[in-house]
Amino acid sequence: MSLMTMILKMSEGLGKTCAIFFLTLLFSLPLGMIVALLRMSKNKVVSSVTRFIISVLRGTPLMLQLLAVTYGPYYLFGSNVARNKLIPVVIAFAINYAAYFAEIYRGGIESISVGQYEAAEVLGYSKFQTFMRIILPQVVKRIMPSVTNEVVTLVKDTSMAFTVSYTEMFTIGKQIANSETSFLPFIVAGVFYYVFNAIVDYVMGRIEKKLDYYR
Amino acid sequence: MSEKTNVQSAAQASPSILEIRGLQKSFAELYVLKDISLSVDRGNVMSIIGPSGSGKSTLLRCTSFLETADGGDILYDGQYAVNGGVYASKAELNRFRTKFGLVFQNFNLFPHYSVMRNISEAPILHGQNKEEVSERAVQLLKKMGLEGKENAYPCQLSGGQQQRVAIARALAMQPEILYFDEPTSALDPELTGEVLKVIRQLADENMTMVIVTHEMAFARAVSEWVIFMDGGVIVEEGEPERLFGEPSQERTRQFLRNYQQ
Amino acid sequence: MKKILCLVLALVMITALCACGKPAEKKKFIMGIDPEYPPFSYLGEDGKYSGFDVEVCQAACDKLGWEMEIFSVNWDEKLVQLSSKECDCVWSGMTIRDSMYKEGYVISKPYFYNTQVLMVKADSGYRSAADLAGKVVAVQLGTSGEALLQEDLADLASSFESVMTCDSFLKCFTELAGNAADAVFVDLPVASAYAAEHEGYLIINEELGAEQYGIAFRPGDTELCASIEGAVAELVKDGTYAKIAEKYPDIIDNLIFLNS
Repeated sequence: MSLMTMILKMSEGLGKTCAIFFLTLLFSLPLGMIVALLRMSKNKVVSSVTRFIISVLRGTPLMLQLLAVTYGPYYLFGSNVARNKLIPVVIAFAINYAAYFAEIYRGGIESISVGQYEAAEVLGYSKFQTFMRIILPQVVKRIMPSVTNEVVTLVKDTSMAFTVSYTEMFTIGKQIANSETSFLPFIVAGVFYYVFNAIVDYVMGRIEKKLDYYR
Repeated sequence: MSEKTNVQSAAQASPSILEIRGLQKSFAELYVLKDISLSVDRGNVMSIIGPSGSGKSTLLRCTSFLETADGGDILYDGQYAVNGGVYASKAELNRFRTKFGLVFQNFNLFPHYSVMRNISEAPILHGQNKEEVSERAVQLLKKMGLEGKENAYPCQLSGGQQQRVAIARALAMQPEILYFDEPTSALDPELTGEVLKVIRQLADENMTMVIVTHEMAFARAVSEWVIFMDGGVIVEEGEPERLFGEPSQERTRQFLRNYQQ
Repeated sequence: MKKILCLVLALVMITALCACGKPAEKKKFIMGIDPEYPPFSYLGEDGKYSGFDVEVCQAACDKLGWEMEIFSVNWDEKLVQLSSKECDCVWSGMTIRDSMYKEGYVISKPYFYNTQVLMVKADSGYRSAADLAGKVVAVQLGTSGEALLQEDLADLASSFESVMTCDSFLKCFTELAGNAADAVFVDLPVASAYAAEHEGYLIINEELGAEQYGIAFRPGDTELCASIEGAVAELVKDGTYAKIAEKYPDIIDNLIFLNS
């Protein structure tokens, strides 16, 4: 198999890799905010339950969570395993990443001074307006470097979808490597991930720069 | 409509825009406000002085609803915002909030907003006409000596400039009374003057103000009434010339003496 | 009289000696192997050739009273070397190909059997590979089944809706059990073992990608082939064959003589 056919074949899986990546971000970024708010809830039960869930999600391997989401329902209740593996994969990724984002958000929110809330309150901003207009934009700027880190990790983590038989780019690479007894597909995969992350880095860098207009 | 008429009739009935009766506040075991009573008339300036921890900032924060009083009354225009430690409804409190503005020691400007948006967003969110608000903001900036700073960000301004933006932001809400919580304490000495000048200008325009400050000369010059607080109580109060000139209480004398040194 | 007796005895003894001398010239049997094809034939750590095929051949020669010699062939040239009498057979995990029969070589009965089967749920109604057109078939990455679907059986693979690649057989079977896959393409012994332990599964054996290992002899050596086959059959009968096989758990399930 020529290098070109190899690259073409693996590109087919790149769409699935991208699907995991973008869908995970789409769901985990907002979900993380909800989790962060629950975690900071004044209700002790809510906050400690959320805290426990976060610790489980961060304290167990993502691969295990992938297996649990995909095959857990079958082993527990005998229900069907999803045919479209993208669904359990995105659910597991989104939940896992939401836990990480939640802790990043919480750190960001808690770093905003009380004075900002007080100023908004005196000026008659509602709680929701205060959060959306005053707090969140400042949080976004502060957490960008940590979020970039997670996003870069996510790109590489997509290869774990293989563990539940979702044929993304790396899986195809493995297939080719096996049938061709060649190491080349892994190098191609490495280049793919590197380029993907270079783009992610560039985009996040641009966003960070855009937010650089104030301190 | 009828409510509005009520407000107006109440305003006419009571000359005091703010009245506090027997206000109590404690943090855990510690009493920071014990039985504080005072009233501020329209067009008057009241200064509150006293050592750190005397409760003067807490008093201002209670009248701004940033701290919850444990007991006593707070009335705006003769209407109960707090009655015997019981707060009015959320909607009522929001209505009372439109009556006052608060300028913080640390400015608390919104760093991600331009000067213009810092000043104009709140009134616009309250449903005021956008053009009118912008026009007013430009005028206020001019008054604060910050002409042309509309598009600057707080981080690009000096402390004194930031505090003047904060004052403009409070004024843009067209409050009936303006509170200052140590407005120059976070500023370098050479920058306090420009802020005090602006406050004095407001006093000249008969803006009703309550100023918690450590600037004794300024308090003496600008106020109609001065309150000296210590240990959560009002130790002494009176017209500035009398209080600063012939304080009747030993505690007041001691405090003023320390300040002169 | 005594002299005559001595003479007779001497004659008898000479005859006996001559008779004894004959077996001393044992038949030599040269086994051709690929020394790098474990576990069938390889160079052991002790420097001696070993492996399943080597051990079976040794046991068979012992049974026949033959002397066994090992000749290491060049695998690409193995049949040429066999023809030029460098060895008497090629016996080394050799896949039987149709071309060998055509060229006249005598091929033993296959002794090792491997095929890929489709395992389905018994209640699914699928009874042939053709029934699985438009369905999802799971296969383990890196198995001969996966390689077959990519190459020799690419046409069959393209008739499926998709081939799902799993990283373990357990996952393949879980996908099947959980109805995410409609069939699993897997080695027969693996499928048999699973079906024996779990109820409700059915093996569709269409000999897909079937391959068999046998022993090749020179054209015309039918008798030699029969001798070896006979000796091996005896080894199977007396349990020696099974005893040797036990040392090679990787291949034991596919040994035709033990699993028929």
